[in-house]
Amino acid sequence: MNLFRSEEHACTWSGFEPEMADRMLKPLAGWADIFSNDFFRQRGRPDYLSWTRSKDGQAAFAKLRADLS
Amino acid sequence: MTDLAVLDRAYHSILTQIIETAQAPHYTEVAKTLGVFPEEAKAVVREVIESTPGWFHPGTDYLASFPPFNVQPTQYRVSIDGRPGWFAQCGFEATAIRWLFPGRAVRIEAPCLCCGDQMVIEMRDDEILLVDPDTIVGYTSAEVGGDAANRPFR
Repeated sequence: MNLFRSEEHACTWSGFEPEMADRMLKPLAGWADIFSNDFFRQRGRPDYLSWTRSKDGQAAFAKLRADLS
Repeated sequence: MTDLAVLDRAYHSILTQIIETAQAPHYTEVAKTLGVFPEEAKAVVREVIESTPGWFHPGTDYLASFPPFNVQPTQYRVSIDGRPGWFAQCGFEATAIRWLFPGRAVRIEAPCLCCGDQMVIEMRDDEILLVDPDTIVGYTSAEVGGDAANRPFR
């Protein structure tokens, strides 16, 4: 889960696997959007682990999984 | 299995200490926060980590990663309002650190794994203030959060 200066740099990295590129190669703004999910935004709340098991938490995680699939 | 309210308190105390100091507490410090004996706190911290995408340094009880942060240094150096000291767990989690510092400028500096040249990103809340170069991409050859069967919060 790394950042690269450009798509070309990512594709020439020694760890690049082309079959993952369709889903897992995105501009920074795309990853920043995915990591704006409530699953990440809510981490600072004092009941975070409980929240992840709540209806809202499960909905956020379902959206995250969908965004990553 | 530990009561969820206790896990909440432990999680929050660990995260809060990293936010405030860029350092993770030892389980003996978590014990004081929870008002329990150290061995009990050690087990609680282990349970917290099992519930998150974090990890210990192998073979130890030392927190190594507590997302979005890494306690061990990574290439993702983070400054808050110009104050350095934090590290992100990975390039993707780096973009989530801003949610723990509302209203404050989060600067991420990292070398490109391909060429070693520097990249800089600045964010504040929902705003992306700077992306240099503006062609930065994120890539992983693994599933985010690990394999689906073993992913925390599944």
